Amino acid sequence: MKINELEKLKNEGAENLPSGERRRFLRFGLAVTGVFLGGTVLSLTSARKAMGVVGNAPTKAGGFPYKPHYSMVIRENRCIDCERCMEACVRTNHVPSYGSRTTILAGEREIGPNKTERKFMPVLCNHCNRPPCVRVCPTTATYKDKTTGIVMMDQKRCIGCKTCMAACPYNARYFNEEVRAVDKCNFCFDTRISRGETLTACAEACPAGVRIFGDLTDTDSELYKLIHAPEKKVWVLRPETGAMPNVFYTNG
Amino acid sequence: MDHSKKKLLTIVCLCALTGLLVLSSQASGAGDDEGGGTITFTAPVKGVFFEHSVHTEAGLDCESCHDDLFAMEAGAAAAKGDFTMAAFAAGNYCGACHDGSTAFDANSQCSSCHHAPSETIIFTKPVKAVIFEHKTHVGQGLECDSCHGDGLFKMATGSAEAQPDFTMQALYDGKYCGACHDGATAFASNTRCTVCHIGVKGYNQMFGAPAQPPGH
Repeated sequence: MKINELEKLKNEGAENLPSGERRRFLRFGLAVTGVFLGGTVLSLTSARKAMGVVGNAPTKAGGFPYKPHYSMVIRENRCIDCERCMEACVRTNHVPSYGSRTTILAGEREIGPNKTERKFMPVLCNHCNRPPCVRVCPTTATYKDKTTGIVMMDQKRCIGCKTCMAACPYNARYFNEEVRAVDKCNFCFDTRISRGETLTACAEACPAGVRIFGDLTDTDSELYKLIHAPEKKVWVLRPETGAMPNVFYTNG
Repeated sequence: MDHSKKKLLTIVCLCALTGLLVLSSQASGAGDDEGGGTITFTAPVKGVFFEHSVHTEAGLDCESCHDDLFAMEAGAAAAKGDFTMAAFAAGNYCGACHDGSTAFDANSQCSSCHHAPSETIIFTKPVKAVIFEHKTHVGQGLECDSCHGDGLFKMATGSAEAQPDFTMQALYDGKYCGACHDGATAFASNTRCTVCHIGVKGYNQMFGAPAQPPGH
Protein backbone atom coordinates (compact mmCIF):
# COMPACT_ATOMS: atom_id res chain seq x y z
CA MET A 1 0.00 0.00 0.00
CA LYS A 2 1.39 3.32 -0.96
CA ILE A 3 1.12 6.42 1.19
CA ASN A 4 -0.68 8.24 -1.59
CA GLU A 5 -3.39 5.59 -1.69
CA LEU A 6 -3.69 5.51 2.08
CA GLU A 7 -4.07 9.26 2.25
CA LYS A 8 -6.95 9.10 -0.20
CA LEU A 9 -8.89 6.66 2.01
CA LYS A 10 -11.62 8.09 4.15
CA ASN A 11 -11.70 7.60 7.93
CA GLU A 12 -14.69 5.36 8.50
CA GLY A 13 -14.83 6.01 12.29
CA ALA A 14 -14.04 3.58 15.10
CA GLU A 15 -17.67 2.47 15.56
CA ASN A 16 -17.71 1.19 11.97
CA LEU A 17 -14.75 -1.25 12.41
CA PRO A 18 -15.64 -4.89 11.92
CA SER A 19 -15.15 -6.87 15.14
CA GLY A 20 -12.84 -9.32 13.35
CA GLU A 21 -10.34 -6.57 12.62
CA ARG A 22 -10.54 -5.31 16.19
CA ARG A 23 -9.88 -8.76 17.61
CA ARG A 24 -6.91 -9.22 15.28
CA PHE A 25 -5.43 -5.93 16.41
CA LEU A 26 -5.88 -6.69 20.08
CA ARG A 27 -4.41 -10.15 19.69
CA PHE A 28 -1.35 -8.62 18.00
CA GLY A 29 -0.88 -6.14 20.87
CA LEU A 30 -1.22 -8.87 23.47
CA ALA A 31 1.33 -11.01 21.66
CA VAL A 32 3.88 -8.16 21.71
CA THR A 33 3.21 -7.52 25.41
CA GLY A 34 3.56 -11.21 26.08
CA VAL A 35 6.95 -11.30 24.43
CA PHE A 36 8.22 -8.39 26.54
CA LEU A 37 6.74 -9.82 29.74
CA GLY A 38 8.23 -13.23 29.14
CA GLY A 39 11.62 -11.71 28.41
CA THR A 40 11.52 -9.72 31.67
CA VAL A 41 10.57 -12.78 33.70
CA LEU A 42 13.31 -14.79 32.01
CA SER A 43 16.01 -12.21 32.63
CA LEU A 44 14.98 -11.77 36.27
CA THR A 45 15.06 -15.47 37.02
CA SER A 46 18.29 -16.14 35.15
CA ALA A 47 20.11 -13.21 36.88
CA ARG A 48 20.26 -15.23 40.09
CA LYS A 49 22.05 -17.97 38.25
CA ALA A 50 24.28 -15.47 36.43
CA MET A 51 25.28 -13.75 39.67
CA GLY A 52 26.37 -17.07 41.06
CA VAL A 53 27.84 -18.03 37.69
CA VAL A 54 30.64 -19.82 39.45
CA GLY A 55 28.05 -22.25 40.67
CA ASN A 56 30.33 -23.42 43.45
CA ALA A 57 30.19 -20.40 45.76
CA PRO A 58 29.84 -21.80 49.26
CA THR A 59 26.19 -22.14 50.10
CA LYS A 60 26.59 -23.85 53.46
CA ALA A 61 28.93 -23.05 56.29
CA GLY A 62 31.71 -25.39 57.25
CA GLY A 63 32.54 -26.49 53.74
CA PHE A 64 35.11 -25.44 51.17
CA PRO A 65 34.10 -25.55 47.53
CA TYR A 66 37.66 -25.95 46.27
CA LYS A 67 40.44 -28.29 47.22
CA PRO A 68 43.07 -26.78 47.45
CA HIS A 69 41.50 -23.36 47.91
CA TYR A 70 44.38 -21.01 47.03
CA SER A 71 44.41 -17.70 48.82
CA MET A 72 46.82 -15.05 50.03
CA VAL A 73 47.04 -12.91 53.14
CA ILE A 74 48.98 -9.66 52.97
CA ARG A 75 50.54 -8.26 56.12
CA GLU A 76 50.27 -4.67 55.12
CA ASN A 77 52.26 -3.10 57.96
CA ARG A 78 55.40 -4.92 56.81
CA CYS A 79 55.46 -3.75 53.20
CA ILE A 80 58.42 -1.47 52.49
CA ASP A 81 57.91 -1.06 48.74
CA CYS A 82 61.16 -2.75 47.83
CA GLU A 83 59.13 -4.06 44.84
CA ARG A 84 60.99 -7.35 44.72
CA CYS A 85 57.62 -9.06 44.37
CA MET A 86 56.84 -7.04 41.25
CA GLU A 87 60.23 -7.83 39.77
CA ALA A 88 59.84 -11.55 40.51
CA CYS A 89 56.38 -11.56 38.92
CA VAL A 90 57.66 -9.85 35.77
CA ARG A 91 60.51 -12.36 35.49
CA THR A 92 58.41 -15.44 36.15
CA ASN A 93 55.33 -14.56 34.10
CA HIS A 94 56.87 -12.44 31.34
CA VAL A 95 54.85 -9.36 32.16
CA PRO A 96 55.58 -6.50 29.76
CA SER A 97 56.68 -3.13 31.07
CA TYR A 98 53.39 -1.41 30.30
CA GLY A 99 51.33 -3.81 32.36
CA SER A 100 51.42 -5.33 35.78
CA ARG A 101 49.96 -8.39 37.43
CA THR A 102 50.54 -6.92 40.84
CA THR A 103 51.20 -3.41 42.00
CA ILE A 104 52.09 -1.58 45.21
CA LEU A 105 49.94 1.38 46.14
CA ALA A 106 51.38 4.07 48.38
CA GLY A 107 49.61 6.51 50.60
CA GLU A 108 50.17 8.87 53.49
CA ARG A 109 47.85 8.96 56.40
CA GLU A 110 47.73 11.14 59.47
CA ILE A 111 48.67 9.51 62.71
CA GLY A 112 48.66 12.60 64.85
CA PRO A 113 48.79 16.38 64.67
CA ASN A 114 51.27 17.28 61.91
CA LYS A 115 52.52 13.71 61.74
CA THR A 116 51.94 11.51 58.73
CA GLU A 117 52.86 7.94 58.06
CA ARG A 118 53.51 6.32 54.72
CA LYS A 119 51.75 3.04 54.03
CA PHE A 120 52.38 0.62 51.18
CA MET A 121 49.66 -1.75 50.01
CA PRO A 122 50.24 -4.55 47.51
CA VAL A 123 47.26 -5.23 45.24
CA LEU A 124 46.76 -8.17 42.92
CA CYS A 125 43.95 -10.23 41.47
CA ASN A 126 41.80 -11.20 44.42
CA HIS A 127 40.45 -14.41 42.80
CA CYS A 128 36.99 -13.49 43.96
CA ASN A 129 34.34 -16.09 44.71
CA ARG A 130 31.87 -14.01 42.68
CA PRO A 131 34.19 -12.49 40.11
CA PRO A 132 32.76 -9.49 38.24
CA CYS A 133 35.22 -10.18 35.44
CA VAL A 134 33.87 -13.70 34.87
CA ARG A 135 30.30 -12.36 34.94
CA VAL A 136 30.92 -9.89 32.13
CA CYS A 137 33.19 -11.92 29.84
CA PRO A 138 31.30 -12.51 26.57
CA THR A 139 33.36 -15.50 25.48
CA THR A 140 34.01 -17.34 28.77
CA ALA A 141 37.71 -16.65 28.22
CA THR A 142 38.03 -16.09 31.93
CA TYR A 143 36.59 -18.53 34.39
CA LYS A 144 36.95 -19.63 37.97
CA ASP A 145 38.68 -22.96 38.08
CA LYS A 146 36.47 -25.56 39.74
CA THR A 147 39.33 -27.37 41.42
CA THR A 148 41.58 -24.65 42.77
CA GLY A 149 39.37 -21.59 42.86
CA ILE A 150 41.90 -19.59 40.83
CA VAL A 151 40.31 -17.21 38.32
CA MET A 152 42.05 -18.29 35.13
CA MET A 153 42.46 -16.81 31.68
CA ASP A 154 42.12 -18.83 28.50
CA GLN A 155 43.98 -16.40 26.30
CA LYS A 156 43.02 -18.14 23.07
CA ARG A 157 39.37 -17.28 23.72
CA CYS A 158 39.93 -13.66 24.64
CA ILE A 159 38.69 -11.20 22.03
CA GLY A 160 40.22 -8.16 23.70
CA CYS A 161 36.96 -6.38 24.48
CA LYS A 162 38.47 -5.29 27.84
CA THR A 163 35.12 -5.39 29.64
CA CYS A 164 36.73 -7.50 32.33
CA MET A 165 39.35 -4.78 32.84
CA ALA A 166 36.56 -2.30 33.45
CA ALA A 167 34.66 -4.69 35.70
CA CYS A 168 37.51 -5.60 37.99
CA PRO A 169 37.20 -3.63 41.24
CA TYR A 170 40.97 -3.91 41.80
CA ASN A 171 42.33 -2.91 38.36
CA ALA A 172 44.16 -6.20 38.42
CA ARG A 173 44.00 -6.90 34.71
CA TYR A 174 45.96 -5.51 31.78
CA PHE A 175 45.90 -6.08 28.05
CA ASN A 176 48.98 -7.87 26.77
CA GLU A 177 49.81 -6.55 23.30
CA GLU A 178 52.08 -9.42 22.36
CA VAL A 179 49.54 -12.13 23.06
CA ARG A 180 46.59 -9.86 22.14
CA ALA A 181 44.68 -11.00 25.19
CA VAL A 182 43.99 -9.78 28.69
CA ASP A 183 46.40 -11.09 31.29
CA LYS A 184 46.29 -11.15 35.07
CA CYS A 185 47.65 -12.90 38.12
CA ASN A 186 46.86 -16.59 38.22
CA PHE A 187 48.80 -17.32 41.42
CA CYS A 188 51.66 -18.50 39.17
CA PHE A 189 49.62 -21.61 38.46
CA ASP A 190 51.06 -22.45 35.07
CA THR A 191 54.59 -21.29 35.87
CA ARG A 192 55.08 -22.56 39.41
CA ILE A 193 52.20 -24.20 41.29
CA SER A 194 51.43 -26.82 38.67
CA ARG A 195 55.13 -27.62 38.52
CA GLY A 196 55.40 -28.53 42.15
CA GLU A 197 56.29 -25.21 43.78
CA THR A 198 54.34 -24.32 46.88
CA LEU A 199 54.74 -20.54 46.68
CA THR A 200 54.01 -17.92 44.08
CA ALA A 201 56.93 -15.90 42.75
CA CYS A 202 55.89 -12.78 44.67
CA ALA A 203 55.42 -14.63 47.96
CA GLU A 204 58.84 -16.18 47.63
CA ALA A 205 60.58 -12.93 46.69
CA CYS A 206 59.23 -10.82 49.52
CA PRO A 207 62.00 -10.27 52.09
CA ALA A 208 59.66 -8.95 54.78
CA GLY A 209 57.10 -11.75 54.90
CA VAL A 210 54.30 -9.55 53.58
CA ARG A 211 52.68 -12.02 51.19
CA ILE A 212 51.65 -15.32 52.70
CA PHE A 213 50.32 -17.69 50.04
CA GLY A 214 48.70 -21.00 50.79
CA ASP A 215 45.74 -23.30 50.87
CA LEU A 216 42.77 -22.13 52.91
CA THR A 217 41.62 -25.68 53.48
CA ASP A 218 44.90 -26.57 55.19
CA THR A 219 44.27 -25.67 58.83
CA ASP A 220 47.96 -26.04 59.68
CA SER A 221 49.14 -23.49 57.13
CA GLU A 222 50.39 -20.07 58.16
CA LEU A 223 47.77 -18.59 55.86
CA TYR A 224 44.91 -20.24 57.73
CA LYS A 225 46.31 -19.25 61.12
CA LEU A 226 46.77 -15.61 60.14
CA ILE A 227 43.29 -15.26 58.69
CA HIS A 228 41.59 -17.03 61.57
CA ALA A 229 43.57 -15.41 64.41
CA PRO A 230 40.76 -14.21 66.66
CA GLU A 231 42.55 -11.18 68.09
CA LYS A 232 43.70 -9.78 64.74
CA LYS A 233 41.72 -7.56 62.45
CA VAL A 234 41.53 -9.04 58.95
CA TRP A 235 39.90 -7.17 56.10
CA VAL A 236 39.41 -7.34 52.34
CA LEU A 237 39.50 -4.60 49.75
CA ARG A 238 36.20 -3.23 48.46
CA PRO A 239 33.81 -5.71 50.09
CA GLU A 240 30.88 -3.54 48.99
CA THR A 241 31.17 -4.91 45.45
CA GLY A 242 29.93 -8.30 46.65
CA ALA A 243 32.74 -9.99 44.77
CA MET A 244 33.86 -12.02 47.83
CA PRO A 245 37.64 -11.73 47.31
CA ASN A 246 40.09 -14.37 48.41
CA VAL A 247 43.00 -12.05 49.22
CA PHE A 248 42.97 -10.84 52.81
CA TYR A 249 44.79 -8.01 54.54
CA THR A 250 45.98 -7.79 58.10
CA ASN A 251 48.56 -6.00 60.22
CA GLY A 252 50.48 -9.07 61.29
CA MET B 1 105.33 76.09 49.97
CA ASP B 2 104.48 76.68 46.38
CA HIS B 3 101.72 74.83 44.50
CA SER B 4 103.76 72.09 42.76
CA LYS B 5 105.58 71.15 45.92
CA LYS B 6 102.25 70.90 47.74
CA LYS B 7 100.97 68.54 45.03
CA LEU B 8 104.10 66.38 45.32
CA LEU B 9 103.75 66.23 49.08
CA THR B 10 100.07 65.17 48.77
CA ILE B 11 100.95 62.42 46.32
CA VAL B 12 103.81 61.15 48.43
CA CYS B 13 101.60 61.13 51.54
CA LEU B 14 98.85 59.26 49.75
CA CYS B 15 101.30 56.64 48.47
CA ALA B 16 102.74 56.17 51.92
CA LEU B 17 99.28 55.74 53.39
CA THR B 18 98.32 53.17 50.75
CA GLY B 19 101.57 51.34 51.30
CA LEU B 20 100.96 51.19 55.04
CA LEU B 21 97.46 49.87 54.53
CA VAL B 22 98.67 47.15 52.16
CA LEU B 23 101.44 46.13 54.48
CA SER B 24 99.17 46.06 57.51
CA SER B 25 96.62 43.95 55.72
CA GLN B 26 99.35 41.54 54.71
CA ALA B 27 100.52 41.24 58.28
CA SER B 28 97.05 40.47 59.63
CA GLY B 29 96.53 37.76 57.01
CA ALA B 30 93.12 39.08 56.06
CA GLY B 31 92.74 38.08 52.43
CA ASP B 32 90.76 35.29 50.78
CA ASP B 33 93.55 32.93 49.88
CA GLU B 34 96.11 34.45 52.13
CA GLY B 35 97.84 31.59 53.96
CA GLY B 36 95.64 28.95 52.35
CA GLY B 37 92.12 29.75 53.58
CA THR B 38 89.48 27.10 54.29
CA ILE B 39 90.01 23.69 52.78
CA THR B 40 87.05 21.34 52.32
CA PHE B 41 87.86 17.65 51.93
CA THR B 42 85.35 15.44 50.13
CA ALA B 43 87.35 12.21 50.01
CA PRO B 44 87.54 9.68 51.51
CA VAL B 45 84.59 11.19 53.44
CA LYS B 46 82.72 14.38 52.83
CA GLY B 47 82.34 17.26 55.17
CA VAL B 48 85.85 17.66 56.62
CA PHE B 49 86.99 21.25 57.03
CA PHE B 50 90.47 22.59 57.64
CA GLU B 51 91.07 26.22 58.56
CA HIS B 52 94.52 27.55 57.77
CA SER B 53 93.87 30.57 59.97
CA VAL B 54 93.48 28.45 63.11
CA HIS B 55 96.89 26.94 62.50
CA THR B 56 98.73 30.07 61.37
CA GLU B 57 97.39 31.99 64.37
CA ALA B 58 98.69 29.22 66.59
CA GLY B 59 102.14 30.16 65.41
CA LEU B 60 102.75 27.69 62.58
CA ASP B 61 104.29 28.78 59.33
CA CYS B 62 104.12 27.28 55.85
CA GLU B 63 107.13 24.97 56.34
CA SER B 64 105.59 23.31 59.39
CA CYS B 65 103.38 21.24 57.10
CA HIS B 66 104.37 22.01 53.50
CA ASP B 67 105.78 20.09 51.72
CA ASP B 68 106.75 17.25 54.06
CA LEU B 69 103.34 16.41 55.43
CA PHE B 70 101.08 17.96 52.83
CA ALA B 71 101.61 19.01 49.24
CA MET B 72 100.27 22.44 48.53
CA GLU B 73 98.17 21.40 45.51
CA ALA B 74 94.46 21.17 46.13
CA GLY B 75 93.24 17.58 46.35
CA ALA B 76 96.75 16.13 46.65
CA ALA B 77 96.18 14.49 50.04
CA ALA B 78 92.87 12.85 49.09
CA ALA B 79 94.28 11.64 45.78
CA LYS B 80 97.00 9.59 47.46
CA GLY B 81 94.44 7.15 48.84
CA ASP B 82 95.93 6.84 52.33
CA PHE B 83 94.39 9.94 53.82
CA THR B 84 92.73 8.06 56.69
CA MET B 85 92.40 8.21 60.45
CA ALA B 86 94.68 5.20 60.64
CA ALA B 87 97.34 7.22 58.81
CA PHE B 88 96.96 9.96 61.42
CA ALA B 89 97.40 7.46 64.19
CA ALA B 90 100.63 6.43 62.49
CA GLY B 91 101.82 10.02 62.55
CA ASN B 92 101.16 10.99 58.94
CA TYR B 93 99.32 14.05 57.73
CA CYS B 94 97.48 15.75 60.60
CA GLY B 95 98.60 13.04 62.96
CA ALA B 96 102.11 14.52 62.97
CA CYS B 97 100.89 17.05 65.53
CA HIS B 98 97.41 15.84 66.42
CA ASP B 99 98.66 13.00 68.59
CA GLY B 100 97.48 14.20 71.96
CA SER B 101 100.68 15.93 73.03
CA THR B 102 101.37 18.67 70.48
CA ALA B 103 97.72 19.16 69.68
CA PHE B 104 94.47 17.36 70.50
CA ASP B 105 94.43 13.71 69.58
CA ALA B 106 92.96 13.15 66.13
CA ASN B 107 90.62 10.55 67.61
CA SER B 108 89.03 13.14 69.89
CA GLN B 109 87.09 16.30 69.23
CA CYS B 110 85.78 14.86 65.97
CA SER B 111 83.46 17.77 65.34
CA SER B 112 86.39 20.21 65.19
CA CYS B 113 87.04 19.01 61.65
CA HIS B 114 84.22 16.63 60.73
CA HIS B 115 80.82 18.09 60.07
CA ALA B 116 77.94 15.64 59.91
CA PRO B 117 76.71 15.37 56.35
CA SER B 118 73.66 17.48 55.79
CA GLU B 119 72.40 15.50 52.82
CA THR B 120 70.20 12.41 53.19
CA ILE B 121 72.03 9.11 53.15
CA ILE B 122 70.28 6.65 50.84
CA PHE B 123 70.82 2.91 51.10
CA THR B 124 69.80 0.86 48.08
CA LYS B 125 71.16 -2.46 49.28
CA PRO B 126 69.91 -4.91 50.38
CA VAL B 127 66.51 -3.32 49.64
CA LYS B 128 65.69 -0.16 47.78
CA ALA B 129 65.47 2.29 49.44
CA VAL B 130 66.25 3.27 53.02
CA ILE B 131 67.07 6.81 54.15
CA PHE B 132 69.06 8.15 57.06
CA GLU B 133 69.18 11.77 58.15
CA HIS B 134 72.18 12.86 60.20
CA LYS B 135 70.42 16.03 61.27
CA THR B 136 67.63 14.11 62.97
CA HIS B 137 70.16 12.22 65.05
CA VAL B 138 72.73 14.94 65.66
CA GLY B 139 69.82 17.21 66.56
CA GLN B 140 68.86 14.81 69.32
CA GLY B 141 72.23 15.36 70.95
CA LEU B 142 74.18 12.44 69.54
CA GLU B 143 77.89 12.86 68.89
CA CYS B 144 79.90 11.41 66.03
CA ASP B 145 81.29 8.87 68.52
CA SER B 146 77.86 7.57 69.41
CA CYS B 147 77.70 5.64 66.13
CA HIS B 148 81.09 6.06 64.51
CA GLY B 149 83.06 5.33 67.65
CA ASP B 150 82.08 1.81 68.65
CA GLY B 151 82.29 0.39 65.17
CA LEU B 152 78.55 0.50 64.53
CA PHE B 153 79.02 2.36 61.29
CA LYS B 154 82.07 3.28 59.30
CA MET B 155 82.08 6.78 57.96
CA ALA B 156 83.03 5.79 54.42
CA THR B 157 80.12 5.93 52.00
CA GLY B 158 78.69 2.56 51.15
CA SER B 159 80.49 0.66 53.91
CA ALA B 160 77.28 -0.52 55.58
CA GLU B 161 75.71 -1.62 52.30
CA ALA B 162 78.85 -3.59 51.45
CA GLN B 163 78.32 -5.77 54.52
CA PRO B 164 76.26 -8.88 53.80
CA ASP B 165 74.74 -8.77 57.30
CA PHE B 166 73.13 -5.34 56.92
CA THR B 167 69.69 -6.86 57.48
CA MET B 168 66.80 -6.39 59.87
CA GLN B 169 67.89 -9.48 61.80
CA ALA B 170 71.20 -7.75 62.52
CA LEU B 171 69.24 -4.76 63.83
CA TYR B 172 67.16 -7.00 66.08
CA ASP B 173 70.46 -8.44 67.36
CA GLY B 174 71.64 -4.95 68.31
CA LYS B 175 73.94 -4.21 65.40
CA TYR B 176 73.88 -1.11 63.21
CA CYS B 177 70.77 0.95 63.93
CA GLY B 178 69.54 -1.68 66.33
CA ALA B 179 72.05 -0.51 68.93
CA CYS B 180 69.60 2.27 69.81
CA HIS B 181 66.46 1.40 67.90
CA ASP B 182 65.50 -1.36 70.29
CA GLY B 183 62.35 0.12 71.77
CA ALA B 184 64.12 1.50 74.84
CA THR B 185 66.48 4.20 73.58
CA ALA B 186 64.59 4.87 70.37
CA PHE B 187 61.63 3.34 68.58
CA ALA B 188 61.98 -0.36 67.97
CA SER B 189 63.26 -1.26 64.54
CA ASN B 190 60.30 -3.52 63.86
CA THR B 191 57.90 -0.59 64.22
CA ARG B 192 57.39 2.55 62.14
CA CYS B 193 59.01 0.88 59.15
CA THR B 194 58.18 3.57 56.65
CA VAL B 195 60.07 6.27 58.54
CA CYS B 196 63.26 4.88 57.06
CA HIS B 197 62.01 2.54 54.35
CA ILE B 198 60.83 4.94 51.68
CA GLY B 199 60.64 2.22 49.04
CA VAL B 200 61.14 2.36 45.32
CA LYS B 201 58.49 5.08 45.07
CA GLY B 202 60.29 7.28 47.58
CA TYR B 203 63.56 6.71 45.76
CA ASN B 204 62.02 7.64 42.42
CA GLN B 205 60.54 10.77 43.93
CA MET B 206 64.01 11.81 44.99
CA PHE B 207 65.93 10.89 41.89
CA GLY B 208 63.35 10.53 39.15
CA ALA B 209 62.01 7.23 37.88
CA PRO B 210 64.32 5.26 35.58
CA ALA B 211 63.41 5.07 31.91
CA GLN B 212 61.19 2.10 31.16
CA PRO B 213 62.96 -0.58 29.16
CA PRO B 214 61.06 -1.47 25.99
CA GLY B 215 59.13 -4.73 26.12
CA HIS B 216 60.13 -7.05 28.97
